Amino acid sequence: MSSGESTGLYVESTIIMTTVRAVAPFVLTFGLFIMFHGADTPGGGFQGGVVAGAVVMMLAFAYGIDATREWVDSRLVVAVGALGVLTFAGIGLGSIALGGTFLEYTLYPIKKASKYGMEVVELAIGGIVATVVVGLFFVVADGFGHVIDEGGEEP
Amino acid sequence: MSPTPIEAVLLVFILVTALSTALLRDVLASVIAFAAYSLGVSILWVVLQAPDVGLTEAAVGAGVMTILFLLALANTTRPPAESAIESVSPKTALAVVAFVLVMGATIPALPAVGSPDGAVVSGNVTDYYIQNAYSETGVHNAVTAVLASYRGLDTLGEAVVVFAAGVAALAVLRREEFA
Repeated sequence: MSSGESTGLYVESTIIMTTVRAVAPFVLTFGLFIMFHGADTPGGGFQGGVVAGAVVMMLAFAYGIDATREWVDSRLVVAVGALGVLTFAGIGLGSIALGGTFLEYTLYPIKKASKYGMEVVELAIGGIVATVVVGLFFVVADGFGHVIDEGGEEP
Repeated sequence: MSPTPIEAVLLVFILVTALSTALLRDVLASVIAFAAYSLGVSILWVVLQAPDVGLTEAAVGAGVMTILFLLALANTTRPPAESAIESVSPKTALAVVAFVLVMGATIPALPAVGSPDGAVVSGNVTDYYIQNAYSETGVHNAVTAVLASYRGLDTLGEAVVVFAAGVAALAVLRREEFA
């Protein structure tokens, strides 16, 4: 039922497909720019992650949700988010291991450690947010009919 | 302080779209009005010189939330609307007016927009961030410096909450993978 309805949502349109094909690279670039350049201009991981995640929604809008679901590797989606949490927590706890306090960037032995550390943290946040945005999109698109069906069978 | 023409137009737009969101009978129309409301609020943030917040509101409020609402609508049945406007009972109207009055009563206690005496402007913490953010963290955007460095632990908590919300959605919907 739910999968039938989500395919019913899709209208194949040359105009939308062509537009998305032209615009998607720029939106992805803009999302990455917000993420990478958040240290010097407005933006950061949260905003950039949402914009980057919206690219997948655009593709689903143009080429169909089910086709996009097959194209996107579900392991990659989860891996990006989990890696984001681990990276952020790892950088925070790593400085404790080096004898400092939580997230004390300057302890890392690289040039401009504070700035680049924050860039990595922003990227990690972006990964988490993009994963959850894309994930919620696919989960909601699938509907929740199957949950109700399963619930009915239980005693 | 009286609002500039741009702010006045934006505030009227936000008020109208917010009322439309609440009053429109058709849920699809309501969602569209809500997206317009979010866009108006995000532009207002930019006008009030808070581009970081404006960017978030535009991307999350106007963009992703609208798409998720539309998907949820597509997966449910939409009852046919007999009238364009939701009928409001006098009790509800009274409660809403009372709530607005109570909230409005707190507005005079707030400092005016851009007031030099406001707690945010004159506070020691703000001053410290503006003076030391670049020399201590090496980034120009003080908002990022606060989020990723001074308040890094809070941001880690936020990021984990977002991740946990995604996991919780999977658990509630009894799925094992996102895509």
